[in-house]
Amino acid sequence: MRDVAVVGLGMHAWGKFPDKSVTGMMREATEAALKDAGIGWRDIEAVSAASSRFSGGKGWGLNGNDIVEEMGSTGVPVYNLSAGCAAGANAFNVGYMMVAGGMHDMVLVVGGEKMPKGFIQTSGVEDEYDPEYLRQVCVGIPGPSFWGIMCRQRMAEHGTTEEQLAKIAVKAHKNSVHNPYARFNKEFSMEDVLGSAMVSYPLRLYEICPVSDGAAAVVICSAEKAKQLTTKPVWVAGSSVATNSFNDGITRGLAGPIPPGGKTFHSEAASAVRQAMEGAGVTQKEVDFIELQDNTVYYELCFPEEWGFWEPGQAEHELESGNTTPTGSLPINPSGGFLSFGEATTAQGIFQICELATQLRGAGGGRQVPEAKVGLGQTLGLGGNAAAVVLKR
Amino acid sequence: MADRIPVVANLFAETPAGPRLTGSRCTACGSGYLPKSDVCHNPACDGAKTEDAEFGPSGTVWSLAIQDYPPPAPVKFDQPYTPYAMGFIDLDDGLRVLGRIDTDDPRSIEPGIRVEMVIGALAHDEEGNEITGWKFKPV
Ligand SMILES: [Zn+2]
Repeated sequence: MRDVAVVGLGMHAWGKFPDKSVTGMMREATEAALKDAGIGWRDIEAVSAASSRFSGGKGWGLNGNDIVEEMGSTGVPVYNLSAGCAAGANAFNVGYMMVAGGMHDMVLVVGGEKMPKGFIQTSGVEDEYDPEYLRQVCVGIPGPSFWGIMCRQRMAEHGTTEEQLAKIAVKAHKNSVHNPYARFNKEFSMEDVLGSAMVSYPLRLYEICPVSDGAAAVVICSAEKAKQLTTKPVWVAGSSVATNSFNDGITRGLAGPIPPGGKTFHSEAASAVRQAMEGAGVTQKEVDFIELQDNTVYYELCFPEEWGFWEPGQAEHELESGNTTPTGSLPINPSGGFLSFGEATTAQGIFQICELATQLRGAGGGRQVPEAKVGLGQTLGLGGNAAAVVLKR
Repeated sequence: MADRIPVVANLFAETPAGPRLTGSRCTACGSGYLPKSDVCHNPACDGAKTEDAEFGPSGTVWSLAIQDYPPPAPVKFDQPYTPYAMGFIDLDDGLRVLGRIDTDDPRSIEPGIRVEMVIGALAHDEEGNEITGWKFKPV
């Protein structure tokens, strides 16, 4: 396997852009990434794209084809990857493997999404054989309620308070003030968060991520090409994709087994993170900061524990001690996270790569993690999909 | 005359012994399935056969949440909207199943309480028929 570098970063802002097409937004992100890398469109040898759930792609998730058509049909191979909200990172992993495996020297990874208004429908089909459709029609458990169930379990087990949940949202927005790409780059007070509407008890509106339009792109290449382009490349130390295990304690359909001890959660995320860290040859102590999928504040508590960074039940203490701020011992989501960006579902994994690389370049401005050398990114998607990446400088 | 129409056919039934979920179970490893599966999904199991099995009615609430705002489609509900509680229920026969909790006071329900399955209305259709599903009632 060859070394792979991230040499070009391109972000479109996250927000609501009713006058733009998803392809137009992806084009802006792509042009920014090409410019950042110092290359042209004709230098791109292959495209690995996230398939959008809600926009463009001719309804088939062919968003990679849309962007090639938009940029100029050079005849390059296109891979359109679908993995729920992990699609962006999944596409990154495929791009990474193509460069690492020697198939291509210069690859564009891109994702964009324009989201419908309000709370989204998780199942896209009315099909009584589709487990996600059955969950909704038989019980009615939209995303926020699923997160609420998980969060309530933690509260019962570890005594997490509603104030602690709110504190995580306040911390996220504090970081976002320094991020021009965030949808909400302003501070929220404890009163703002605790005063926001209850969406799914115990979770409030400002403790879950809204839906946004967004697009991001990165250019990755071989070490040889990277040396021609920059003296300070960011390296892909590890990249991994995983799916959930049969014994996972979170019921994916209507019913599932009760796992031994009842306690295996988010097994896909834990596997992807473990594999990416093993691939990178880094331990938890060597990871300087994490960008994780904070669809809800709950994930900032459970994920670092499930990945071996903290002991079970330690997260609330780490939060209260300020250890998850950009200058703390384990900064989490210095970007402001999904809470500040909102979720442009399939683009999220690529936005994380952009943030990790920005931090490793030391270009994080007011949200910079001091001396950041190794960063971990993680996304999770419907269907038991997860992806993780470790970048280093 | 209004009817009672199951939200999805063949997932639950009023049996002589009471309301039950109607699924299947692997004859080799005992893994339970709802909906019914003809094959076992357990990768550690070499079993080739499942048989019809009933699940419920007794269990424990593993955790729950309250749907405080009207849910998006395809969830059906009556007007005016009333928040409902739903959660994962650990049935005594080894299945963790999703279900609504049958209560007028969702805030009073705590993880860990004992519940029993009932069949009740999820919503009503235009003709006034009851759309029924399974729920769990605190005992
Ligand atoms: Zn079996």
